[in-house]
Amino acid sequence: MLGFLIGEALRDLRRAGRVAVSAILLITLSLAALGGFWLVSSNLGQATDHWRNRVRIIVFLKRDAGGMESQALVERVTAMAGVASVRYVGKAEALGTLKQVLGKDASVADQLPANPLPASLEVTPTAEGATPQGARTLIAQLTALPEAEEVGGGSEWIERLAQGRRLLNLIGFGIGAVLALAAILTVTTATTLVLHQRRQEMEIMRLVGAPEVVVRLPLLLQGMMQGLLGAMIAIWVLIGGYTLASPSLEPLVHQTLGVERLTFLPPDNVVMLMVAGTVLGGLGGLLARGRREP
Amino acid sequence: MIELHRVWRVFSVGPVKVPALSDVSFRIAKGEFVTLHGASGAGKTTLLRLLYRDDLPTEGEIQVLDYDVPKLARRQVAELRRSIGVVFQDAKLLPGRTVYENVAFVLRVLGTPRREITPRVFDALRAVGMSSRAQAYPTQLSQGEAQRAALARAIARKPLLLLADEPTGNLDEAMAAEVIDVIKDIWAGGTTVLFATHQSTVAAVLRQRTLALQAGRIVKDEG
Repeated sequence: MLGFLIGEALRDLRRAGRVAVSAILLITLSLAALGGFWLVSSNLGQATDHWRNRVRIIVFLKRDAGGMESQALVERVTAMAGVASVRYVGKAEALGTLKQVLGKDASVADQLPANPLPASLEVTPTAEGATPQGARTLIAQLTALPEAEEVGGGSEWIERLAQGRRLLNLIGFGIGAVLALAAILTVTTATTLVLHQRRQEMEIMRLVGAPEVVVRLPLLLQGMMQGLLGAMIAIWVLIGGYTLASPSLEPLVHQTLGVERLTFLPPDNVVMLMVAGTVLGGLGGLLARGRREP
Repeated sequence: MIELHRVWRVFSVGPVKVPALSDVSFRIAKGEFVTLHGASGAGKTTLLRLLYRDDLPTEGEIQVLDYDVPKLARRQVAELRRSIGVVFQDAKLLPGRTVYENVAFVLRVLGTPRREITPRVFDALRAVGMSSRAQAYPTQLSQGEAQRAALARAIARKPLLLLADEPTGNLDEAMAAEVIDVIKDIWAGGTTVLFATHQSTVAAVLRQRTLALQAGRIVKDEG
């Protein structure tokens, strides 16, 4: 029976002709837009995670502490909530690092009359300590230390990145939703057209006492097929776009966001896009109305 | 088998009420062949549509195959129709399908097992003398052949009741005689038949019980 109903749905799809093609294209557009935003968003998500793991808060100290004193300070800060680890960086080490950064110009540092760099504490926060609220609390605690001259760093810019990602998701869903609505209406139109062409079959089916589900199932299946086809094309479009664009974008993204490789949508997202397409098409098929029985 | 009691069907055309059937009562027993004779517009089609619940009466009681037809739920309407075969003046064959596919279509939508379909289709086609035309498309058939194919489609499900709405209305005398012979054979096989026609000659040829319908009223029940 299912094979027969699928055969009827395929026959209907051929009958719908250009309208069915428009519906499939609209579903492709809406899902490609949604998937495209999703793709960018998931890579931004990677960048956010990457940078969130590298958040450091630097506490510049008023003076270089001695061995015992610095050890006690490190222990005190390590005991604070939201701190994963603490490293003491003495004035000499700071100058050494500066020379490394300067490279062949390191001799400039030797011209200085005295080491101007302050000693500091390099604080790595825990995951909770790296959230905007956690980082604010931690910075307040560190600023209150009597040894602290100034506290720098934090996670604001990472949060801005995460907010950008959320905004991108919202825009993607917005555009996807508008296109999806248009796709549903087009599938409904295509199915209504099929319904008129299929009038005789439906009349005969009802006349011989076919269950209503059997009468309407080919229309629903036809809509679902349009949706699935649209989703599959959208996925191919996304794969094509990703394959073409990623080699040229990767160096740029690596430099700006520190992400080594751009990744394609994970399999569960691909499956979700296909399900979304099928549901969109099915909705269109379901919404088409024909003559009602008395 | 069929029982109508004081059935009215009134259509509203704007503020005007037009009775298509007025106070119609009759009974048809199992295995009977009844001709429903009346001029065009007498109410024959309206009456048949009430029997297979394609329309509802304005008033009155209708029993078909022990179903209280006006009170049926949608699922029960489908059950009722599975026991009724209906043929019309135009054969209503599906144009893109062969004769075989047209007959097989109704068996498939009713969930008949695949292995039973071909033998049942050919049994029905043989019964109406159309087995040699199984692969023809409706456009390749004469009107008489199309009507016989429609009959094959109606009887493939082995209905208890056959409702024929002017099946010979579009046919010349020879073709009409062929179709009438086929319907009589179906009746002889045990199916109850209600045959609606506006043609007095056909009613005379059938020589069966005749219900005469005039302006929506049964004016004669004889035979």
